[in-house]
Amino acid sequence: MDSILNIPFIHDLIILFKPALYNIYFLVAAVPLGFVFAVLLALGKGSKNKLISVPVRTYIYAFRGSPLFIQFFMFYSMSLALNPILWKPLGLDWLMLSPLFIGPLVLVLNTAAYAAEIFYGALQSTPKGEIEAARAVGMSKKQEFRTSIWPNMLRLAWPAYTNEVVFLFHSTTLVYFTMPVINKQQDLMNKAGELYEKDYNLFLHFSAAAFYFLVVSILIFYLCNLVYKRLTRHLNVDVSLKIKPNYTR
Amino acid sequence: MSKKWLLAVTLGAALASGQVLAEDKLRIGTEGAYAPYNFMNDQGKLAGFEVDLGNEICKRTQMTCEFIVNEWDSIIPNLLAGNYDAIMAGMSITDERKKSITFSEEYKPVDPSLYLVKKDTKLDFDKLEGKSIGVQGATIQATFAQEKWAAKNTLKSYEKADQTLADLMAGTVDAVLADGEFVKTSAKGSNGELIVVGPEEVIGGGIGIGMRPDDAKLHEKVNATLAEMKKDGSLDELIKKYFDVGPFYKK
Amino acid sequence: MFEMLPTWLTDWVGPDGMATLAYLTNGKHIAWYASVRYTLIAAVCGAGLAVVFGLLGAAAKLSNFAPLRWIGDIYTTMVRGVPDVLFLLFFPLAFEQGVEYVMAKMYCSPEAVAAAGGVACKDAQWFLSTTEYLVMACFSLGIVYGAFAANVIYGALKAVPKGQLEAAHAFGFNAREVFWRFQVRQMWVYALPGLSNVWLLLLKATSLLSLLQISDIVDWADRLGTPNYLPLAGLVHPDWRWKYYLVLFVFYILLTFLSEKFFSFLQARAGRGMARAN
Repeated sequence: MDSILNIPFIHDLIILFKPALYNIYFLVAAVPLGFVFAVLLALGKGSKNKLISVPVRTYIYAFRGSPLFIQFFMFYSMSLALNPILWKPLGLDWLMLSPLFIGPLVLVLNTAAYAAEIFYGALQSTPKGEIEAARAVGMSKKQEFRTSIWPNMLRLAWPAYTNEVVFLFHSTTLVYFTMPVINKQQDLMNKAGELYEKDYNLFLHFSAAAFYFLVVSILIFYLCNLVYKRLTRHLNVDVSLKIKPNYTR
Repeated sequence: MSKKWLLAVTLGAALASGQVLAEDKLRIGTEGAYAPYNFMNDQGKLAGFEVDLGNEICKRTQMTCEFIVNEWDSIIPNLLAGNYDAIMAGMSITDERKKSITFSEEYKPVDPSLYLVKKDTKLDFDKLEGKSIGVQGATIQATFAQEKWAAKNTLKSYEKADQTLADLMAGTVDAVLADGEFVKTSAKGSNGELIVVGPEEVIGGGIGIGMRPDDAKLHEKVNATLAEMKKDGSLDELIKKYFDVGPFYKK
Repeated sequence: MFEMLPTWLTDWVGPDGMATLAYLTNGKHIAWYASVRYTLIAAVCGAGLAVVFGLLGAAAKLSNFAPLRWIGDIYTTMVRGVPDVLFLLFFPLAFEQGVEYVMAKMYCSPEAVAAAGGVACKDAQWFLSTTEYLVMACFSLGIVYGAFAANVIYGALKAVPKGQLEAAHAFGFNAREVFWRFQVRQMWVYALPGLSNVWLLLLKATSLLSLLQISDIVDWADRLGTPNYLPLAGLVHPDWRWKYYLVLFVFYILLTFLSEKFFSFLQARAGRGMARAN
């Protein structure tokens, strides 16, 4: 057992395990809320009401058009500036300035914008025949949504959304590049960089970090593929997600 | 035949003179974000105690100075990698750092580190618990605070010293531990918003110039110049100009 | 400089306004505005290199020679599993280490290496200034986003009507000529939407230049915004960073807007004469 641990690569993998958990935490914290928010935004974008669609479109445009890096800096510095005025008096500063909160917050805002665009595209491509059939049968708006719009949107958007989740995971590395390190909380890239600066062994440390990213990315693909199989179970075609890159991000 | 020979000679002369010129250039790495040691002034130029000192050393040794701005985190690795030949960035002489680089003699004596807090903050340094202390990453204060306070308090480390002040003013850290001069000048410039409290912590040695271990010629030149400047009082003058303390070296 | 402004303007702006204007145009701010050139150079050069690497990657994927195909496949899928930040940080460091290793083998004697502590000796050190970092950043961006571009170009190459290629073969062009003169020339119109996407990704990745030791707009915004309490060092001001980052936020949105306009123009031009849905 000793000899396996002594291989530098394995040794690195063990050191990098805890930092990897931070990246996974950011992913898991950001995906559910991001998904819900994205669906709302997609519906809002398609709304006939200008009061809803214009702000939504502006929001999506702004958050897709600017780098995540800048968004992190902006939100952190705004939160910091608001601290003496708002958070400290309310006793919320432990939350509002913690990277563990701001990280997922900004990631949610960002991923929601990209995913909303994907869902909106899927909404536009919903087979019109199903919607007309639902109306002809006399379903209410809510039933129409539940039976024809929602399942189709999910199915059509799923491959691109999988991409988005993987990219979200990759973006979690930026959290600790932009926010201060509290009590040695570090993520994969931070820790790998720290290890590198001690002994300049670039290939070793960065490959170990890359290994974690690769493994989790493949895991995400696998899980999303399972969901995709279930979403397309009514089609008599054997479709599956491939790691074939799709550049909609 | 003679044309080729002429070409070879001119090339050789050019290369040789290039080498000679290269010898006369001193590249100094500094952080550029640690007033008053080294900072960017409002004209966007590097200025500060160490910039003046570096220029003076170059004048006395007839070398041309070039200042290179480098982040604090990678300042030592980039010295070893050859991006510059000397570090003048308020770097204290410590045994840990001596393992990788050589220091000149000190050009500013040991500066006890101090705690900076926002006015009206009451901290009991004998039993500090549950507070947050801000430090700049990879500094002697960071290692010190890690050993002394991290067990019962939160330690926040930042890339630049100015960011510790920003968070202190914003209230996200309760105290900042940094070099005494930095703390005192910040307290003075804040017009009473920030005050110095607590014990003095003597960490590390004086401030010295960091150089590569194999650069013996540079070590000699630098140490000779520093000794000269200490003897004739010009070093004390510079320290007085920026820090308003001293004199330390003129006997 | 402000003496040249007419008095009715300076009076209307007021002394406070003039002071703000003077502050916003002092040397430090001008350095900030000037550093935009790094962002633009990195974006444009990175994009050019990305297209080159993309073409090479796509050509490799289409090749009949299996190992070349594998290389193409690995290249295009590596950005799916590993973050671009990791590559962006990795390539310059790896390249620098590689160059110094080669130079050390050429110039350093074993004693010199030992004396310098195991790193390359003095003669083998490669001095890196902003120019070198910028060039390496362009290459890093080119390699990473070349992988994305390779996918786009691969799809676009496959979208070129087979009839065109068969006709070219029939005319007697050899495989290489068919590829470069017919397939590549015609694939641009199919590739443009995807490539515009890759350009936007690349543009946003230029915000990371400060991680590569380049004093870019993000770095200067940080320097200008962090609070200063020393009158000697300049204007004493509290934490203004959020203002500067807001400006950067808007700046990038503006760049995205201009890029989208440019690409619509390109698409209109490239698609002229081709059947369109409308």
